[in-house]
Amino acid sequence: MAQRELKFESPSFFKRLKGMLGVDFYRLFHTPMYYIFLAIAAIIPAMILGTSGMENPQTGEIAPQLYTNVWHIIAADSPLYVVNSIAEYANMNMVFIFGGIMVSIFIGHDYKSGYVKQLFTTHAKKQDYMLSKVIVGAFSMACMCITYLIGAVVAGLLTGVSFEVNVMSLVCAIVGKIIMSLGWASLYTFLNIIFRKYFGISIASSFFFGTGILIIGAAAILGNNSLLNIFLYGSSVYACLSANILTVLVCFVCSIVWAVIYTALGTRILSKSDVY
Amino acid sequence: MNAIEIKNLSKNFGSKQAVCSLDMTVPKGAIYGFIGENGSGKSTTEKMICGLIHPDGGSIKLFGRDYTDADVRAKVGVLIESPGCFPNYSVWNNMKLQAANLNIKNADTEIQRVLKMVRMEGAAGNKYKNCSLGMKQRIGIAMALLGKSDLLVLDEPINGLDADGMRIMREVLCDLGENHGCTILISSHILGELEKIATHYGIIRGGKMIKEMTAEELEESCPTYVALKTKDINRAKANLACKYSRVEEDEAGYIRVYDAKEPEEIVTYLYENGILINEITTAKIGLEEYYIDLMKEGR
Amino acid sequence: MNAIEIKNLSKSFRGMYAVDHLNMTVPVGAIYGFIGENGSGKSTTEKLICGHLVPDCGEIKLFGKDYTNPGVRVRVGALIENAGCFPNSSVYQNLRMQTINLGLENPDEEIDRVLKIVRMEDSANIKFKSCSLGMKQRIGIAMALLGDPALLILDEPINGLDTDGMRIMREILVDITTNYGCTVLISSHILGELEKIATHYGIIRQGRMIMEMSAKEMDSRAQNFVSIKTKDMKGAEIALKNKFDNVKAEGEYLRVYDVDDTEAIVEYLLKSGHVVNEIKKNKIGLEEYYIELMSKKEEK
Repeated sequence: MAQRELKFESPSFFKRLKGMLGVDFYRLFHTPMYYIFLAIAAIIPAMILGTSGMENPQTGEIAPQLYTNVWHIIAADSPLYVVNSIAEYANMNMVFIFGGIMVSIFIGHDYKSGYVKQLFTTHAKKQDYMLSKVIVGAFSMACMCITYLIGAVVAGLLTGVSFEVNVMSLVCAIVGKIIMSLGWASLYTFLNIIFRKYFGISIASSFFFGTGILIIGAAAILGNNSLLNIFLYGSSVYACLSANILTVLVCFVCSIVWAVIYTALGTRILSKSDVY
Repeated sequence: MNAIEIKNLSKNFGSKQAVCSLDMTVPKGAIYGFIGENGSGKSTTEKMICGLIHPDGGSIKLFGRDYTDADVRAKVGVLIESPGCFPNYSVWNNMKLQAANLNIKNADTEIQRVLKMVRMEGAAGNKYKNCSLGMKQRIGIAMALLGKSDLLVLDEPINGLDADGMRIMREVLCDLGENHGCTILISSHILGELEKIATHYGIIRGGKMIKEMTAEELEESCPTYVALKTKDINRAKANLACKYSRVEEDEAGYIRVYDAKEPEEIVTYLYENGILINEITTAKIGLEEYYIDLMKEGR
Repeated sequence: MNAIEIKNLSKSFRGMYAVDHLNMTVPVGAIYGFIGENGSGKSTTEKLICGHLVPDCGEIKLFGKDYTNPGVRVRVGALIENAGCFPNSSVYQNLRMQTINLGLENPDEEIDRVLKIVRMEDSANIKFKSCSLGMKQRIGIAMALLGDPALLILDEPINGLDTDGMRIMREILVDITTNYGCTVLISSHILGELEKIATHYGIIRQGRMIMEMSAKEMDSRAQNFVSIKTKDMKGAEIALKNKFDNVKAEGEYLRVYDVDDTEAIVEYLLKSGHVVNEIKKNKIGLEEYYIELMSKKEEK
């Protein structure tokens, strides 16, 4: 009997992560969901811009113009933690709501289909799973930020609103928000790990946290306090049209710190409890 | 009247023919064992009967009416693969949902009735996810029975059941067929189990019905024989061939004598010729062997 | 070295022990038939080995290393309950993902190879959700065989397979264990099938391992006997008892234990005027043994 010798080589951290990331990116690019969400991220700003200031064909009333400057749909002029109207609220931060729902569906399908069994059988370290989901989530949200930008610009050109802006601040704001994707992705992954057995609740919780309602509520009491920047939503709002390089730095630190915290917590929960 | 009458049914998936001009007749009150290899078109046929897949051609009649007739379809209960229940709900609540879906008036009594039929009345409060596989399959049947179904279509309901689960399922199905007038179409690969309950058989291969028969017909076409083993097989065979017309040797090294009346006759006959037998038994070709032979013929 | 070595493993769900201080030893290269009723803790044990569940206490070692060792776990192939594939992706895509996950070098060849083994090579482009039950099962097996597993954990893999599928499955399992040194842990209710390939057995009941033995031990334990039927059973019994030590009337048969030479019995009976109607050699098989074991425990 020709028995082979059994050898077990421990794969390096990068090899493990590469395998897991490979699966997640393959899935991302081979499922329509990702492209649908990219489209949603582009259509929403276009729709908001397009419908404001439009004449109602039946009554002849003109809807109030929400924005006079196209960049206001990307970010506000100054950090507004308290919002008074939909125009103040609706900006690129909405990407993080769509992103949250997408991450929920993405992870939810892992559990629903039972594919997690394959992943957790071959990956002894739960860290691989958490990191991979965070990275894929951050990547897709960053992509959504970009399609959002494209959608807004195209709609702006069509409706003919003003394009006047401080370019440096605009770039800083957009870069800041893209960096925030990482922090948000880790929050959603964490939430989904907690509610992994309840698909509906995980989507609802992603939506709830994505809207930043808690921070808006806190801001209503505290006022526009820059301490709120330590939270994900706070930093996301901070990246506005008056942003500078410091803003990007704040976003970076906030995003990384939260990503580390949530990934560590998620990993711990996964290793201490049953997978499904 | 026939519970199911299918004529010339066809279905293609892309270029793949799943079912091609299939005919099938299931009499009322039958337990119809539907047999075929994986991918032979069993499930596709069943799904078409239940209206889950649209056929490319052919007709399906249930109780003499077209299968799209709403009245008739309300009488059809289905369990394809698994029941599809909500895992976090209790058995009772899952049944309630289905009862609401079917607009059943006095749902509670009806649920009690069907749970009793599948012997699950004691487990109504259990969460679905905590039920064993055998229980889950029986819940699926109970669901299929809700609303006084006259026809049950069951796709591999005994997969993965342990011996005890299998026995209860057998009893439940026989009871449904005999005492409640249900017609049951059941597919399975476990032919030994099927043989214990089926009254009719349909054998499908490559999307075509290659054989349909009743259990009695199967019985008749499966001859009884005497199987024996000796040390000197060739001499015994030669000797037996002088006296009996059909003597064959099978794969396991047994000599089969098909037209012997009594095994004693053979034992004494061989003994007189100086041959002692090692083993002798009377046997009958069963469904399994019949099926395997039939499959071989077609190759 | 043992492929799996479990000591004192426990897992409870809401205070109910699903696995209760279980011990288990699976030698390298074995086909280990894991037997028990539905709900006896088979799947829970398998999930614990694969790291899906966190044990309450106890120790699991795979190939002498702790089961959380990444190097060992990469080489575990599992099919538990269902294939765990994305329903909207094709069979090929599902397998492709697993090759990426395992970091295989020539994925397409690998996928071809495993699909051929399970006779699904023409179905690679079908969406998983439109596969039949038997196909899904076979995809699950293909998935577990991808790469180069050192340990295969198969939970009821022959459920829903046709006769031919079962035969092929048997051949694959024997091939990979004898030629590639793979170890297989397989659970099934179809004991007759299991008996044809298993080299070791473990019988579990209510979360406890009640019996572990090799097929050889099982063989030596199982008693041989000859069962006989004649027209005059009483007379034959008396006649046989004169010559053989251990004769028992059991149902409609007479059993003569520990005798191998059936010819001698036939001749002896003929000489004493009894013509046998039926005579066959019997062995208490796995199924009978298992049922007996279960009923014994129930009485306690």
